[in-house]
Amino acid sequence: SFAFTWVQFNGENCLNKDTKTNLQDGLKVVLKIIKHYQEEGQGSEVVQGVLLGLVVEDRLEITNCFPFPQHTEDDADFDEVQYQMEMMRSLRHVNIDHLHVGWYQSTFYGSFVSRALLDSQFSYQHAIEESVVLIYDPIKTAQGSLSLKAYRLTPELMEICKEKDFTPEALKKANIGFEHMFEEVPIVIKNSHLISVLMWELEDKSTVADKHELLNLSSSNHLEKSLQLLMDRVDDMSQDIVKYNTYSRNLSKQQQQKHQYVQRRQQENAQRQTRGEAALAEEDITKLFKPPQPPPRMDTLLIAGQINNYCQNVKEFTSQNLGKLFMAEALQGHNS
Amino acid sequence: MSRFFATGSDSESEESSSADEITPKTSGPNFRQSLLLSDDEEDTKRVVRSAKDKRFEELTNLIKTIRNAMKIRDMAKCLEEFDQLCRAFLKSKTIVDKEGVPPFYIRLLADLEDYLNQLWEDKEGKKKMNKNNAKSLSSLRQKIRKYNRDYETEIAAYKENPQESADEEEEKEAEESGSSSGSSDDEEEGGEGMTAKNFLKKEAVPEANKFLKGAKGSGDEASSSDDEDDEDWGEDSEDSGSSSSEDGEGKSSSLACRFLKKTQEGEKGLDKKREQRKKKQKKERLEEEAEEEAGEEGEGGWEKVKGGVPLVKPKMFAKGTEINTTVVVKKLNEILQARGKKGTDRAAQIELLHLLAGISGEHNLGQGILVKIKFNIIASLYDYNPNLAAFMKADMWKKCLECIDELLDILFENSNIFIGENIAEDSENLAIIESQPFRVRGCILTLVERMDEEFTKIMQNTDPHSQEYVDNLKDEGHVCGIIDRLLSYLETKGSTEEVCRIYLRRIMHTYYKFDYKAHRRSLGLVAETKSEQDQEESEGEDSAVIMDRLCKFIYAKDRTDRIRTCAILCHIYHHALHSRWYQARDLMLMSHLQDNIQHADPPVQILYNRTMVQLGICAFRQGMIKDAHNALLDIQSSGRAKELLGQGLLMRNMQERNAEQEKIEKRRQVPFHMHINLELLECVYLVSAMLLEIPYMAAHEFDARRRMISKQFHHQLRVGERQPLLGPPESMREHVVAASKAMKMGDWRTCHSFIINEKMNSKVWDLFPETQCVREMLVRKIQEESLRTYLFTYSSVYDSISMGTLSEMFELELAMVHSIISKMIINEELMASLDQPTQTVVMHRTEPTSLQNMALQLAEKLGGLVENNERVFDLKQGVYGGYFNRDQKGSYQQKQGGYQRENRGGYQQRQGGYRGGDGQRGGGYQGGYRGGYQGGNRDGNQGGNRDGNQGGYQGGYRGGYQGGNRDGNRDGNQGGNRDGNQGGYQGGYKGGYQGGYQGGYQRGGGGGGGYGGYRNHQNRDQSNY
Repeated sequence: SFAFTWVQFNGENCLNKDTKTNLQDGLKVVLKIIKHYQEEGQGSEVVQGVLLGLVVEDRLEITNCFPFPQHTEDDADFDEVQYQMEMMRSLRHVNIDHLHVGWYQSTFYGSFVSRALLDSQFSYQHAIEESVVLIYDPIKTAQGSLSLKAYRLTPELMEICKEKDFTPEALKKANIGFEHMFEEVPIVIKNSHLISVLMWELEDKSTVADKHELLNLSSSNHLEKSLQLLMDRVDDMSQDIVKYNTYSRNLSKQQQQKHQYVQRRQQENAQRQTRGEAALAEEDITKLFKPPQPPPRMDTLLIAGQINNYCQNVKEFTSQNLGKLFMAEALQGHNS
Repeated sequence: MSRFFATGSDSESEESSSADEITPKTSGPNFRQSLLLSDDEEDTKRVVRSAKDKRFEELTNLIKTIRNAMKIRDMAKCLEEFDQLCRAFLKSKTIVDKEGVPPFYIRLLADLEDYLNQLWEDKEGKKKMNKNNAKSLSSLRQKIRKYNRDYETEIAAYKENPQESADEEEEKEAEESGSSSGSSDDEEEGGEGMTAKNFLKKEAVPEANKFLKGAKGSGDEASSSDDEDDEDWGEDSEDSGSSSSEDGEGKSSSLACRFLKKTQEGEKGLDKKREQRKKKQKKERLEEEAEEEAGEEGEGGWEKVKGGVPLVKPKMFAKGTEINTTVVVKKLNEILQARGKKGTDRAAQIELLHLLAGISGEHNLGQGILVKIKFNIIASLYDYNPNLAAFMKADMWKKCLECIDELLDILFENSNIFIGENIAEDSENLAIIESQPFRVRGCILTLVERMDEEFTKIMQNTDPHSQEYVDNLKDEGHVCGIIDRLLSYLETKGSTEEVCRIYLRRIMHTYYKFDYKAHRRSLGLVAETKSEQDQEESEGEDSAVIMDRLCKFIYAKDRTDRIRTCAILCHIYHHALHSRWYQARDLMLMSHLQDNIQHADPPVQILYNRTMVQLGICAFRQGMIKDAHNALLDIQSSGRAKELLGQGLLMRNMQERNAEQEKIEKRRQVPFHMHINLELLECVYLVSAMLLEIPYMAAHEFDARRRMISKQFHHQLRVGERQPLLGPPESMREHVVAASKAMKMGDWRTCHSFIINEKMNSKVWDLFPETQCVREMLVRKIQEESLRTYLFTYSSVYDSISMGTLSEMFELELAMVHSIISKMIINEELMASLDQPTQTVVMHRTEPTSLQNMALQLAEKLGGLVENNERVFDLKQGVYGGYFNRDQKGSYQQKQGGYQRENRGGYQQRQGGYRGGDGQRGGGYQGGYRGGYQGGNRDGNQGGNRDGNQGGYQGGYRGGYQGGNRDGNRDGNQGGNRDGNQGGYQGGYKGGYQGGYQGGYQRGGGGGGGYGGYRNHQNRDQSNY
């Protein structure tokens, strides 16, 4: 009768599939999230909400959720924290799990790797260690396969975020790449037996046409959108690289200047020594040559992660579609 | 002063009234006139006095004033007078050397010093003093200390024996009482006659510096003072010859008031004494008053000493003087000497010149002198406004026109008058001498040019929406008349240079006027009424013929570049205005003006801009949409059309333009009646942009590197899109935007109804002379371009389409549809072929789908990304040269084995070359590496992807890309990017746009570039025809 489970111990996650819980319906959480997006999300707009649940042994069980209300800039005095507290208190009154264990967010064609997500997930994970972010892709879901993914920041990334040091050197030292930014946590959806029975029955009753939604061939729109987004990111990436390039060029130029300066100094001092004069006072070289401001690399990292994400999406999508196309071809041949 | 007015005493009211009457800046002349008044006394006996007496008297007078000032504690006055005294003393040095320092002088010095010291001690009194006085006191004290050092012994002697000169003092006192009684006499006589008082007063006050004493009662001194003046102002000899009885009534009365005031000052002095005894408080106030007035008097005195400007007499010549040419010329020069000097009454000067002209006319001195005087009258009329920005008053302007007319009359009547700038003053021949022509210095052309400028100025400064403007504009006929007359005069007499100048003036008054009569004639219409017919006949030649004749003369004869440039521009403008597009265009192209117009001065640039705009509008009327767009692009894209055309200033903050600049810019404005309608201009531009841009947009919908043809147009579209609620269009722009939207869908009927309707007719289209033609042309263009747009947009939907259907849809003839589609196929805009027997267009369907387009774009972008990344890597290698051990790397590669070598041989070779060069990191290596890399990658990757159609394009692209991007220069990139078809045009577009933004009026290279591209295009078009 319940859903999601996973475990986390010091960054090591393993799924315990055998665990059973006698908590309320897991489908409820999923449906709630879907409903939330259906009602409030439009196009590329994003909806967010709070996940409630508790840690049981090595799993995190999510048993309920509630949305953040959409609010415009008009009611600036709206206090989100206040709202959350109120909501959780009310939930406790009706004896529902009220422990905060993360948040969820919808995504538009798989674009969610952003600075905002990183920041808020960091603060969640910082405050409540077991927090996860649940990414719900409404578009994929609409095409017939539920797409729900849970992510956490890796401990390395947590360290970096704590330091707030996004310089190229720091990132190099942490040896973190876009692959190691997020870790995906497996999800298991569990329902009560009654619901499972109902599902069986529903499946039995549903018409063939409903079932074969999956075989839809019109795919170019989705692909186009993905490519469009991918292109935008690539542009951003290019810009970042150019920025970095200028930076490193400046740095090397300055390095050279510094070097020349030191050499000249040394020569001069040597000459002075031969003439018997006092050596020139050592000046602070760092003051003379202020190193150029290094561009923050975190954004680049995020963009790379996002690009990776898109690529995965496209890959997945195309492989599925190719299969479908071949299938369709075979069918055509068979018919004729 | 206002403080004193407020008290409201008699004297003050008089003062104010006198201030009203006296024209400002005339204090000098008044003084002179006062001297003239005294000429009556000329007859009384003259007494010769010794130089010593004269000098000493001067000194004693000054001393007297100082003592008076001391009594009333007026330090400012004291200081001033003391300065004068010192100067006067210096002047009389020779006498003093002979006679010794006069005792009264020493006495004053001693007294003054004592007095000052005493005042200095008196701290309270000092506090009470006003600022000015206190300042004077301290400076005077210092001065006198310094000064007295030279006379220490004498002063000491005097201090020992002050009685020595007591008797002298007594004498003085007696004199003083005499003077006071004299002045009181004056008061009594005051009611009887102004002139009498004037006379007395004149002597009493203007000469006050010299002797305030009662001595003035005697005629001797009066005459002596005159003598003095004669010495001081030698030129006055003539003045004294003339009698003052002729003095103008008004002037004498104003003089009277002026002097009356001074009398009252004296009076006040007496009053003061009386009151002093009565009320202390009042005394103080009066003291201040007296101080103030004394100050004024002091000013007057100062002016006198300095000497005024050479002055003008109301009466020209003494009675009985024989009036002949030399005398008149002398007089004239005398009047002219005052010209331009401060304090000269310019109005009076003009009057005098008129008077002189009258006199010379009366005495039949001949036309030569008259011409000379007329020249000067006109010049002084121009001088009347000292400020260059101010414009002439209406009456002055009328006078000026009349004068020039008269001058021209004279010149036409007398062919024996030679005028010119080059005739030297002394070689003038003004007198009537038989058989010799008159020679007069002066340039009538300059005068007329100036007049023309004044006219422009008047028009600039008149509210264009007032009746006044219309009235002023009526004078244009007069101005043109004068110019015409001068033109015919100079054609016979002037040099070619002058003829060129006057021709240009004539052109300037012609080029912007639409010749309706010629237009009607060309349409074959006969004037309806008889009067109109008459008028037409009397009109003479068409303005086109005139323009042609005048301009061609200038082209042939002019040696100054500017006149020719202006003439060419005006000629083009005139051609364009009358829809002679090819002449106008050819002239523009032949003149090569667009190449070097940025070196011209702003007015010429404004003219150039006007011409370009007119040319563009003309092209539009002729249906040359591309040409119209290109010609208008420079002006429109800057968003400052108003400013560039000299039709108004844009609001800008003061930082960018200070007051001075603003004045200059204001002077450059074109008068309202010559304006080009800005809304019409914008509409023409937007409609041409729409006709070009919409099909282009449809054709390049998926092209990532699509360029905008017109930024302005896109901006309007965006503005339209941003509207939250789309109502029916109101303004011209909204109409165009709405029409564009309709055209995008290929809906030409809606587009047509948006472009041509009542509103747009009244706003724009009706402003053209050939409204109907323009509208027909527009409909046709809309149909054609809509058809093209339709084909671009929907060709992917069709397998084939019948031309008959298309012709029906767009209401075009079949042949036309055929030709449009053929053109599109030839230009490879439409991937289709024509099927002749069925009259259908068969689509090839080779256009890449949007997804394919997208993929291509992505591939390109990734290429860029990879390249950028490579560069990061390069840099790293450069910086950390020793980071990778080369041998190590090599061995690593060797370890990779044959797999790599086989598969990526080319790449590895490159890598090898790269490593080889790595040590030196020379430029050659870099280029080679990159070139190789790109070549390999791109060719393999993309060459196959694209069909042959785009292959050539790619080549161009890559070239430009490599060249440009390496330099980090985007523009280069874009330049190479374009295919040949658009190269010229786009280049021009870019240049023009940038130029327009950068230079003020100087659209600089941009303008040139813009038209350069335009020209290229022109050639291509022609070859297409």
